[in-house]
Amino acid sequence: MSDLIVNGQRYALDAQVGRSLASVLREDIGLIGTKIACNEGHCGACTVLLDGVPTLSCITLVHTVGEREVTTIEGLRDHPLVESFVRADALQCGFCTPGQIVSASALVEANPHPSREEVRHAMAGNICRCGAYPKIEEAVLTWQD
Amino acid sequence: MARLIRTEKEVEGNYTEQWIVVDEDPVAQWPSGPLEIVGRPLARVDGAERARGEAVYTADLQLPGMLHVAVLRSPHAHARVTQLDLARASEAPGVRAVLTPDDLDVLTREPGYPGAAIAAVAADTYDLAAEALELADIEWEVLQPLLDPDEAVQQGSLIDEPERYDRGNVEQGFAEADVVVETEYRTQTVLHNSMETHQSVCQWEGDLLNVYTSTQYIWGVRAETAAKLGLPEDKVRVVCHYMGGGFGAKNHPGEYTFIAAELAKRTGRPVRCALTRREENLTTGNRHATIQRLKVGAKADGTLTALVGDFVMAVGWRGFKSWTAGPMKMLYHCPNVSTVEYGAKVNTGPNAAFRAPGFVEGTFGLECLLDELAAKLEIDPLELRRRNHSDSDLVDDRPYSSKNLIECYRRAEPHWEKRDEVRARSNGPWKHGIGMASQIWFGAGGPPSYAWVRVGSDGRALVVTAMQDIGTGTKTAMAQIAAEELGLPVDRVQVSIGDSARGPYAAISAGSSTTPSMGPAVRAAAHDAARQIIEIAAQRYHKEERVLSLKGGNVVSADGGSWPIEEVTGLLDDAQILGKGARGPNPTGMRVLTFGVQVAEVAVDVETGEVRVDKIVAVHDVGRVINPLGASSQVEGGVIQGLGHTFSEDRLLDPNTGAVLNQTLDAYKMPTIADVPEIVTDLIDVPDEHLTNLGSKGLGEPPIIPTSAAVANAIRDATGADVRSLPISREEMLRALAEAKEKEKTREAPTAV
Amino acid sequence: MKLLQPSSLEELDAAGPGLLLAGGTDVVPILRNKLIDVDTLVDIRAVVPRGVDGTRIGAGTTLAELEVDPQIPAALREACASAASPQLRAMGTIGGNLRQATRCWYWRMHYPCFLHGGDRCYAQTGVHREHSVFANDRTASAHPSDPAAALLALNARVRTNRRELSISELYRLPTNDNRDVVALDYDEVILDLEVPTPEASTYLKAMDRQKYAFALVGVAAARFGTDVRLGLSGVAPIPWALDSAAGLDDATPLPDNAYKIQIARALIERALEAVG
Ligand SMILES: Cc1cc2nc3c(=O)[nH]c(=O)nc-3n(C[C@H](O)[C@H](O)[C@H](O)COP(=O)(O)OP(=O)(O)OC[C@H]3O[C@@H](n4cnc5c(N)ncnc54)[C@H](O)[C@@H]3O)c2cc1C
Ligand code: SF4
Ligand code: FES
Ligand code: FES
Repeated sequence: MSDLIVNGQRYALDAQVGRSLASVLREDIGLIGTKIACNEGHCGACTVLLDGVPTLSCITLVHTVGEREVTTIEGLRDHPLVESFVRADALQCGFCTPGQIVSASALVEANPHPSREEVRHAMAGNICRCGAYPKIEEAVLTWQD
Repeated sequence: MARLIRTEKEVEGNYTEQWIVVDEDPVAQWPSGPLEIVGRPLARVDGAERARGEAVYTADLQLPGMLHVAVLRSPHAHARVTQLDLARASEAPGVRAVLTPDDLDVLTREPGYPGAAIAAVAADTYDLAAEALELADIEWEVLQPLLDPDEAVQQGSLIDEPERYDRGNVEQGFAEADVVVETEYRTQTVLHNSMETHQSVCQWEGDLLNVYTSTQYIWGVRAETAAKLGLPEDKVRVVCHYMGGGFGAKNHPGEYTFIAAELAKRTGRPVRCALTRREENLTTGNRHATIQRLKVGAKADGTLTALVGDFVMAVGWRGFKSWTAGPMKMLYHCPNVSTVEYGAKVNTGPNAAFRAPGFVEGTFGLECLLDELAAKLEIDPLELRRRNHSDSDLVDDRPYSSKNLIECYRRAEPHWEKRDEVRARSNGPWKHGIGMASQIWFGAGGPPSYAWVRVGSDGRALVVTAMQDIGTGTKTAMAQIAAEELGLPVDRVQVSIGDSARGPYAAISAGSSTTPSMGPAVRAAAHDAARQIIEIAAQRYHKEERVLSLKGGNVVSADGGSWPIEEVTGLLDDAQILGKGARGPNPTGMRVLTFGVQVAEVAVDVETGEVRVDKIVAVHDVGRVINPLGASSQVEGGVIQGLGHTFSEDRLLDPNTGAVLNQTLDAYKMPTIADVPEIVTDLIDVPDEHLTNLGSKGLGEPPIIPTSAAVANAIRDATGADVRSLPISREEMLRALAEAKEKEKTREAPTAV
Repeated sequence: MKLLQPSSLEELDAAGPGLLLAGGTDVVPILRNKLIDVDTLVDIRAVVPRGVDGTRIGAGTTLAELEVDPQIPAALREACASAASPQLRAMGTIGGNLRQATRCWYWRMHYPCFLHGGDRCYAQTGVHREHSVFANDRTASAHPSDPAAALLALNARVRTNRRELSISELYRLPTNDNRDVVALDYDEVILDLEVPTPEASTYLKAMDRQKYAFALVGVAAARFGTDVRLGLSGVAPIPWALDSAAGLDDATPLPDNAYKIQIARALIERALEAVG
């Protein structure tokens, strides 16, 4: 039996082959900040980082994660992006928001001063039905303020 | 003393007379413009917990021993179940209970649309429930689906009686007209797709049913669930602290709630019934497609003389005709109007309210028609609209409670006037243009709605009301209103919502009515508490009540002296000051409406049919703005949904079987961040002096209404092409361009003698 | 279900046949929706080379890695950048991309159609705005891969654990006897790609949104000396090569998708202009 490393903690992985990372995070570990909105890899609500790479946890088989470190929104609660999202009003219902912040965190890690175009390119996989996009763009552009 | 009065309530254009009880004298409106807290931007009070992933949505709730439901749904648009046997399914691993149509009337043996619920299984996990369903022995007699709405109308397959409306005499109106334009417009079916799917968790505690649900209307769910189950309403407790979007589709409990309640009863365990994204897109509602056959007559100076509309709506197997004729009846001063609306009953999923239902569609038709008329008359489209401005409501023959549409036009004008500049940007295949469209909609809200305000000895206030915040920021607006009235910094005000057992009745979050309904109740409650604080302070500090007011966390005396509020309330120790407030009546004999205009700048690649929207200017008259930050978010969200409706969203049906082909979000394409133009929000922040103690109207819906028409009109301005059908896909754009070219050719060709 | 995770080609061979799993972006949803029925999954990520070395690209390289790699011809970079979403590009490998299944909604909804082994194509008489305009007599499926069109224009070669072949040989039109669009064995593994360096290349894509949509039409052009090669996505059941825009005259559009030809014509003209 292998382990799962989430936000710096090791968890014994005890799940049936075929289960998704998202379901294990939410149901087994209780990390409900990762949302599931489509469960088939289309919307980005379930985005987590695997060794820093934005990944759709709903279509990631948990047994393929291996030693890669999982970072969920719970591991990013102190990230300045959280504050900038709230300040810019970059959320309405908030259901897409954890995924948005996880995606944005990968972007600003690689590119601390992204351009508007770069933000749009890096955030296009996170659907927000409320249409908070203009404010999301602003939040990511001003994350260090 | 409680006074009983009879008043009118309007939700999305439906007026009902009702009795309400008001107990205090109404509080006078605040002066216009930004106050200390109200009217100033404030980040959402519950933003952090949502952003940090701490907020527990219905989807996140995990109760000990909870079971999960999978629903057997019809793969056919129209069929009859000839045999159904769940014996094998009920013996599958992990299965705890099953339901068939014999057990629950929301399950059916005669599905009329793909996705109709037939049976349900509760099991230890969702996967086990889904696997068990595969063991259901079921046989179908597949019937021919009726899909074409025109055909349905011809066959008399209607949801209800056609709705006719006439004023004046349209024949006479056309006789007086110098110009007549007649056109057909079509709009598609659009899916709500809120990110949290419809779902409920039901749990019995003795004879009390707890319903945790993703809803826009806690009290509606309570009433409908109680009625369905034959329970007293207080035996149903409905909880929704956070919800992941609704847009009109979550106004009712839905079959999933009843399924979960019944299975919870049978198993004695909490039961979750959560829809998958695919089920969501089959069964939970949609903006129904419309066919609009419109005709307008006008004098040479642009004065409208007649408007006629024949509207066919593809409602679905159930549902309602949304108010597609509304804009035609209400937007302009036209003496002669005749409309008829048919609701076609077809074998598709039932519709549901979707952000300004009918008005989005009807405005697309009417406002495109007006631009086609303007082109024919060679009148500036904005001028044409000004000339037909209506100073009073012609439908009910009433004055407006307030109307600042002319001011909206004035503020839009500088953008509109850039037309030549924008057109001059055209370069190679890219043609640029500007278009505009007006907006009219309801948004008065109404009674009943209640709030309580509790001030503790620490000088902090808690607003209690059992409303829901669907993402519109209502909770934040309520905190601002209470803080303003109590003279407290907003971080000393907390708002408790989301639980029918904890707080009084609160309005539905629909029809742009939450803030105009709830806000006045919260203000009244805060006022009641403030009055008590002042009364206490007057006695403690030997002042007259009338010289005291609450400001900046202090009780301030006009003749000098200021005491922290907590000093006053601190006298009370464990005692509390309790204020209560109710939403007062709407102004009788008046029509309370919202107005606006949007200007769109677009660029069209005439070789590939690509359309890029560069800018949307949204000017709306929605009364007093409580939170300009949240308000601009609402406007942007509405415009963006409008752009999805305009360009890329379209529920596709297989013409042979009626199957929904794009239930998933790879194929059903909602806008992403990359599709968003510059959006300029400009709200006419003037209170409606006749409306409540706030003067705020609703804001959720107006911004989605004129977007598609403004864009289509901009496309005409840029290219001369008439797009008359939504979405404006590549093929529709290229078709319209080809048609325009054809028209151009025949115009240029010398006419044969 | 069994998940095997071989760590070498030898172990892979020893593992026996199973469905290959790389980034899983296509395979996992397909499995979950039971579009294919397998009991063994073989995670090949430890086996397939990853990374770029000059003109050689490991099949395990992700689209996200490719879109920013300066060693790669522009057409391939742009095709990768325009494909899918950031997360999907970060997960999805180029090997998996080349072998992804059709997006045809009928196929994805289990209609017993030609590509599923049945005897008719439901798209031809149904909704087919996104379907193919070439070679659409048996199946109207439109090949969804952007990178494949670019690799076709770039005349790339593919090395598997069994052989080497050109991109045009990798794809085949399905026949009555064999419904596959890829000329590989079920468990044959693409190891790497050899991508020649053109003088100039580009990829242009028409889609329903600005980003994150499959190509309605994608056009790749690559110039080697005076020779310009074109590869198209979204127009045929497999990536489609054309010599010039004149080839569009042979298209056989269905009632509702002739618009694709018009778009293709404009994009080809622009792509040719771009590569000079
Ligand atoms: C919503 C969505 C949108 C998308 N949009 C686009 C788009 O616009 N343009 C585009 O080009 N693509 C698009 N894709 C496809 C995406 O790029 C592919 O799914 C991805 O590249 C596949 O790589 P993978 O590593 O995840 O493959 P997997 O899902 O792991 O595998 C896919 C297939 O390839 C096989 N396979 C994997 N690796 C190898 C190998 N090395 N050798 C042989 N066979 C192998 C698998 O057995 C399987 O049959 C989209 C996908 C999704 C889900
Ligand atoms: S296009 Fe191909 S995949 Fe789609 S229905 Fe036709 S045969 Fe099947
Ligand atoms: S929930 Fe994973 S992508 Fe939508
Ligand atoms: S905030 Fe509601 S979906 Fe993004």
